Amino acid sequence: MVNAAALLARANAPGTAPPILATEGLGKRFGHFRALSDVTVAFPEGGITAIIGPNGAGKSTFFNLISGAFPPSEGRVLFRGQDITGAAPHRFARMGIAKSFQITNVFPHLTVRENVRVAAQARRVRFALFRNRSAYPELTERAEALLAEVGLGARMDRLARELAHGEQRALEIAVALAAEPSLLLLDEPTAGMSPEETRAMMDLVQRLAETRTLILVEHKMKLVMGLCRRLVVLHQGQLLAEGSPDDIRAHPEVRRVYLGKSA
Amino acid sequence: MSARIAGDSVAAGAAVPAARPGSGRTGRWLALAGRHRVALTLAFLIAFPWIAPYEALAVNILVLGLYALGFNLLFGYTGLLSFGHAAFLGGGAYGSGIAIVHYGLHPGLALLTGTLLATLLAAAMGALAIRTRGIYFAMTTLALSMCIYYAFYQAERFTGGENGLRGINVQSVALPGFRLNLLDPTVKYYAVLAVVGVAVWLFSRLLSSPFGAALEAIRENENRAQACGYDVARMKLMAFVISGALCGLAGALQAIHLSIVPIETMHYSTSGQAVMMALLGGMGTFFGPFVGAATFSLLQDGLATLTSHWQLFVGAIFIVFVLFLPLGIWGEVLARLRRAGW
Amino acid sequence: MSDITVGGLPLDLIGLQLVTGVALGAIYVLVGIGLSLIFGLMNVVNFAHGAFFMVGAYVGVFLYGYTGSFWLSLVAAPLAMGLLGLAVERVLVRPLYGRGIDDPLLLTFGLSYVMVESVRIAFGLTGLPFGAPPELRGAVDIGIGYFPLYRLFLIVFSLAVVGALWLFIERTPFGLVIRAGARDPQIVQVLGIEISKVWLAVFGLGCALAGLAGILAAPLQGVTPEMGIPVLAEAFVVTVVGGMGSLAGAVLAGLVVGIVVAMTSLIAPDMTKMAIFALMALVLLVRPRGLLGRAGALG
Repeated sequence: MVNAAALLARANAPGTAPPILATEGLGKRFGHFRALSDVTVAFPEGGITAIIGPNGAGKSTFFNLISGAFPPSEGRVLFRGQDITGAAPHRFARMGIAKSFQITNVFPHLTVRENVRVAAQARRVRFALFRNRSAYPELTERAEALLAEVGLGARMDRLARELAHGEQRALEIAVALAAEPSLLLLDEPTAGMSPEETRAMMDLVQRLAETRTLILVEHKMKLVMGLCRRLVVLHQGQLLAEGSPDDIRAHPEVRRVYLGKSA
Repeated sequence: MSARIAGDSVAAGAAVPAARPGSGRTGRWLALAGRHRVALTLAFLIAFPWIAPYEALAVNILVLGLYALGFNLLFGYTGLLSFGHAAFLGGGAYGSGIAIVHYGLHPGLALLTGTLLATLLAAAMGALAIRTRGIYFAMTTLALSMCIYYAFYQAERFTGGENGLRGINVQSVALPGFRLNLLDPTVKYYAVLAVVGVAVWLFSRLLSSPFGAALEAIRENENRAQACGYDVARMKLMAFVISGALCGLAGALQAIHLSIVPIETMHYSTSGQAVMMALLGGMGTFFGPFVGAATFSLLQDGLATLTSHWQLFVGAIFIVFVLFLPLGIWGEVLARLRRAGW
Repeated sequence: MSDITVGGLPLDLIGLQLVTGVALGAIYVLVGIGLSLIFGLMNVVNFAHGAFFMVGAYVGVFLYGYTGSFWLSLVAAPLAMGLLGLAVERVLVRPLYGRGIDDPLLLTFGLSYVMVESVRIAFGLTGLPFGAPPELRGAVDIGIGYFPLYRLFLIVFSLAVVGALWLFIERTPFGLVIRAGARDPQIVQVLGIEISKVWLAVFGLGCALAGLAGILAAPLQGVTPEMGIPVLAEAFVVTVVGGMGSLAGAVLAGLVVGIVVAMTSLIAPDMTKMAIFALMALVLLVRPRGLLGRAGALG
């Protein structure tokens, strides 16, 4: 099966690198409702891949399946060729997969610095019961560096709940980065943001992708067209198309169900 | 999938205290006090007999304070509301009482036995209860603690059943080089304080540790903590067991102090007492449990001299706190100081 | 009477004990449904549920003393508890919506102290004796032996109440709202119904059911101010065993608990209480979501 995924990746990806993440026949039912069925895709290492589709296309379900929020009803998820279907959420983090949720998801009553420090700590030290937190200055340093990277260097002593919406999303990304992920999953990182905040976030996303693989869910197609290397288009719970932005633009089905309205 | 009551607020809990000392001069003082919280707490407790109405009550407050402190590790710092902690207070009390009455063990060993029994009970209960989340956790722990209650109730040969375990007479404690006379109330208070002091110090270490930081993260946002790579279930269980051990130590001390273990010690209403003390004092604050224990005991003591229906007032006061003072007395004091400092 | 025995016990006796279990279970079912209803829709654990059970019993017994009509008590007790429940929701619980999930639980815990102590003040510490009303005394032959008429009545009456409740929830517009609200409060708002009114009604209904269970239980044991305290713990067992927030689960679990109690009291009378909680521990171990619980309920 590992080979199948690799073959698939070679067939699909424009580059030749083996996929960092792949799904095979992934599907999810909620009771009688079929939210996603038979999605087989491979995500190449490096750069940004965007998952797009109209509302109700199954993007969030797909995101939750590949990030381990809940197990699929059928199919498999492979990370670097290894089957990780149904692994506990904390295992995902330890393997190097980090995610940012669609709903802002930080530690509200901790300071901004502590938010990231405690996340960085999860990677290194978890069950030290009687050593002081301050015995690990490198964690604080790392937290501060990450906060500077996402543009929150001046807000480190505030409580997370006091930040503006855009800042909280940036904080969430810093929290996700603290786990030193090789794969970062972002669910609609610009949802509910003002135009300025959106621009700042997309700049950040671009910078982050220089050193890691990013997969992001987005329903604003225009936003991601210029940024990403590859697109995966979902429609009514199924894979509609995948390929480079140019391929997708030219894809007749995509034009019909998606671009048809806006273009 | 975080559980939330009816209503649509995003706030995970209005009553969670702010973790930041605040800015300005007050903030710096508070930060300084925070760094020396063990010394300040102990200084207060050393001086406490001078302001307490009588010494037996002071010992009560000390023991109940430790009970509330242990409970607060779970409730205030990890965000888990247990209604089963009476089983650990009772487990500790019975463990130490039985060790003394039936086996004639040294009080020091009895404390150890009691704490160990409570720890085992906490591990068993925790392993089951941790499988449920949110408010189910409160229901499950309550019901499981009642299972333990009835088990101890039935084991009459060891526990005295309905009549409670009687005859735990510890008049003096032989220590290397000297002998503590527990019949002297002052000696008794400071002997108990010595044990409580060690527990308070260990508790503070635990809170400052990376593990303590992870617990707070779990309280703040369980899903996020898990996504960060924390094995939340295991950490919760660990917090549960440590919390149970601290409450067990409190129970073991209580058995020696009262020289009897009433079966009600294990009843869920005693768990409710821990909840009340933690909330009255201020959940998630270091010193709050002692404030809560003192308030509760003084209230009970004072009201009981006025009316046999003191529980009416305790219930009503508790309702007022839930509605209007969810931060508790100490939490409110800290919040006001912080606000004043800005 | 047959002579067949199982484990040294006559089959008839086991059969009778089984029916006794169902009768006991009927009380657990009513208490459990009330708790589950509030819980499933509002995500609120009513820690005063046992206190409502107890006050309901007192109201019924008190009225019976005045009017001599058990039937009137049977209507008045749940009605009074329903009204009290409405008042409690409006005045005390409502301000807590949107706050931490533990807050209503804590508040109702405090409320239970107030209710128990108020009853002590009004009716004394010792409780009141109470027996089945004259028209329901005696025993009837149910084929395998004589069975107390009142317990039989208990089974039939509770069955009728559960049936009526089922019709109400499955077949009326308000029931539809309750079912929708239990899935997603936002759906109810989309339907153009003020969810706060639904919560109010459901809280009242849950408390009324507790009161009804209280007066129904009164002839079995008399009434004391403390009678609701173990009932609360047992109602939690019913909810956890049945599956959180599942009404069908509460019915099933209530009956199972009743039968377990009856059977244990036949074999090992001392272990009766423990058996209830051991049952829950077992369910948690094997099937943490409960017999009929939704998978999502436990995250």
